[in-house]
Amino acid sequence: MTIISSYSIKGGVGKTALAVNLAYALQESGRRTLLLDLDPQGAVAFYFRMGSAKKLRMRDADALADGLRSNIRESDFPGLDIIPSNLAYRHFDIVLDSMTKSRKRLRKVLEEFKSEYDVILLDCPPNITLLSENVFRASDSIVIPVIPTVLSQRTLEQLTAFFQAEELPGEILRPFFSMVQKRNKLHREIMAELPLSCPGFLKTVIPFSADVEKMGLRRMPLLAYSTCCEAAQAYRALCNEILSETEPQP
Amino acid sequence: MLTELFADASLDSVTGMVKPYNKPDRMDDRMRKSDFARLHVPDEHCFESLHHQWSLSSHPLQTSTLSFWDTFEWGLWFSGYLLYRCNNRYSLSEYHDGWLENRLLEEQAQSRRRFWHEFETEAMRKALQSPLGLRGLAMVAEGMFRRQQWDLRNTSGKVVCRLELSSVLEAKHGRTLLQSCQLHPLRGYEKEAQEVLACLTGHGASPCVQHPVELLLSQAGNQPRRYSLRPACGLNASTPAREAIARIVGVMLELAASNLPGMQQDLDTEFLHDYRICLRKIRSLLSLIKGVYPAEDLQRIRTILGDLARQTNRLRDLDVYLLAREEHLGLLPSSFRPALSRMFDDFAVEREKEIHRVVSKKSLSAARRLLDIVSISCNNNELSGYAPAAELPVGPLVFSAIYRRYRKIVKISGSIGAATPDAEIHRLRIECKKMRYLMEFFYELIPADAGATVLKQLRRLQTKLGEFNDASVQQHSLLAYWDQRKPDAEIALGLGGLVSVLYQRQQQSRRLIEQSLHEFCSASTAALFRQTFKLPASASGITVYR
Repeated sequence: MTIISSYSIKGGVGKTALAVNLAYALQESGRRTLLLDLDPQGAVAFYFRMGSAKKLRMRDADALADGLRSNIRESDFPGLDIIPSNLAYRHFDIVLDSMTKSRKRLRKVLEEFKSEYDVILLDCPPNITLLSENVFRASDSIVIPVIPTVLSQRTLEQLTAFFQAEELPGEILRPFFSMVQKRNKLHREIMAELPLSCPGFLKTVIPFSADVEKMGLRRMPLLAYSTCCEAAQAYRALCNEILSETEPQP
Repeated sequence: MLTELFADASLDSVTGMVKPYNKPDRMDDRMRKSDFARLHVPDEHCFESLHHQWSLSSHPLQTSTLSFWDTFEWGLWFSGYLLYRCNNRYSLSEYHDGWLENRLLEEQAQSRRRFWHEFETEAMRKALQSPLGLRGLAMVAEGMFRRQQWDLRNTSGKVVCRLELSSVLEAKHGRTLLQSCQLHPLRGYEKEAQEVLACLTGHGASPCVQHPVELLLSQAGNQPRRYSLRPACGLNASTPAREAIARIVGVMLELAASNLPGMQQDLDTEFLHDYRICLRKIRSLLSLIKGVYPAEDLQRIRTILGDLARQTNRLRDLDVYLLAREEHLGLLPSSFRPALSRMFDDFAVEREKEIHRVVSKKSLSAARRLLDIVSISCNNNELSGYAPAAELPVGPLVFSAIYRRYRKIVKISGSIGAATPDAEIHRLRIECKKMRYLMEFFYELIPADAGATVLKQLRRLQTKLGEFNDASVQQHSLLAYWDQRKPDAEIALGLGGLVSVLYQRQQQSRRLIEQSLHEFCSASTAALFRQTFKLPASASGITVYR
């Protein structure tokens, strides 16, 4: 089982669009996939036309695993299950803080689903909290959408610095350029420079696209209704690039 | 699930297994297996009732014509398998409920496969070898399977349940034989699935008890039935001897006749083999229990059966040679094989002629007529002459005959050694065969435990005797081929090599026979025979008919 997280300190960079489409591409490739929405905003459930999760009992790791399990819902796409978010997830930090080994709890909870899924995908809220630290320690790979702007560049540097300070494995950080506008000169310049100073950058680039915006209207992953638009092809390519690096080659 | 019929999965060319992680291009290939029972759907109305509560959307209708294959003995059916062919692809599936849910293996095949060894993938050959044995595959049913998947959505447009509507139709006329519906609940939406189930059952749907393949078989007039050359005849020890024997003969004649169509089609060599066994068994039975039929009648029947069997002798010999072709070629160095292979080619050509002769319309109708004569003669209540044992209870007659046979085997075995002529071992083999026939015909009368112990030892001994005999007969046949055809030096060299290997094999068998005989004639086995089969001295009316 591989755990992949869609994460960024900064909001509005395309984390949920990445999580939703990556999850779709994974199930499409035949992998049993679970998408866990950790963001209390609950956008994942909206995209998959689901209600929010039932309230969880989160007093310890076992109760949390049971609660998550009871909230698993099958999406319209066989092989892809979702655990929708709940506003109560805003208390995740407090709950984790009360547990022993509070920074590694999430990995233990997710291990419970090992036999059922090939990949667990986490859609994370935009901040650095105890939950984020749990995500860092639980993930085999953290995929970070980066809009080629100065602010995004800054948050990526903050994250890298945090990993160094906490002695976390920096090689699991896999940024990629998101919402790219090729005509924008600044985008082009940052895209030329940033990968040089930040190793692990994925090659695939997701373009800015109105098709992605329409996901809100269609309430489904872009890949489910558009297979050949540039953004859809880019998401598939991104999925393949991630898989080629996270899974052992046959 | 039925969807697998239509899936375009990629296959491993060696194992025939569906490759894991092959990129499935159909959504339903990844659906979870449903725990819901399949429902029988009486009409469209039942299905339309769902529209009131959910929004329904359908996937494309898929139609596929399948042919099902099995052997004369229903080897696959009774092993729990179904083998079907669709669009030049053979699939092996577990029977389950006949909806072909658990496909195990499949392989592409442009042409028809008859024997297990003709399949290309190792996994398929391995799976079919035991259920098929020497039997050939024949088509037993054909049908059209239709399937359509439906999604049921709630007011948010989320799929909350899936339905798979399946129907089975006659392949020729397209008449619907069965319509069924399988619910596929979605995890987290179990309540909705229960509501769908309640709606369907409320409108006439009920658990589907009919199996599609069974229906198709029934339509084709092919009902799977157990096939055995040891059928039960409902005998007991007090059944009058003539009635008992007539009953057995009747069953064996039916079995013999049931093999004639397969012989005519030349589907496999087992039809002829079993036909000959039936004739031999009847002939043997009639002479083993004496005094049941007048001597004159008996002689006539035995002559008919002997003639019928003799007409197929050469064909059976050729079958045996050709079945052993690969084995025999493998006994020689590779440089000898091409030449000797030509001898087998000669046999194959001769077999073609023989089979045409044996299964010609004229020959088969004559065989049927003669089998009818045997049947009438054995069931004729009016005896044409003296038959003193006809009305005696069959039990003591059989037990006495078995015990007598055992004593005879023990007597012959006393003289078996390294220098014993082949003919003497052959005589021993025939005696063992007679005893085996008696025990098999009348197994209903023999105590099960003692019968099983004795038969086990007897089988072991017969295997060794059979190997000895095969090696002996094959040597003679090869020498006869050399004598008649006077083949070129290359073939003669191969023949010589093969005869020499067979001779060695025969000598080995001789030593093993001595070991098996030692066990079969031991004090404990003798005691078992005595206890089980020896009649008390007071039993009367037996000795007269020895």
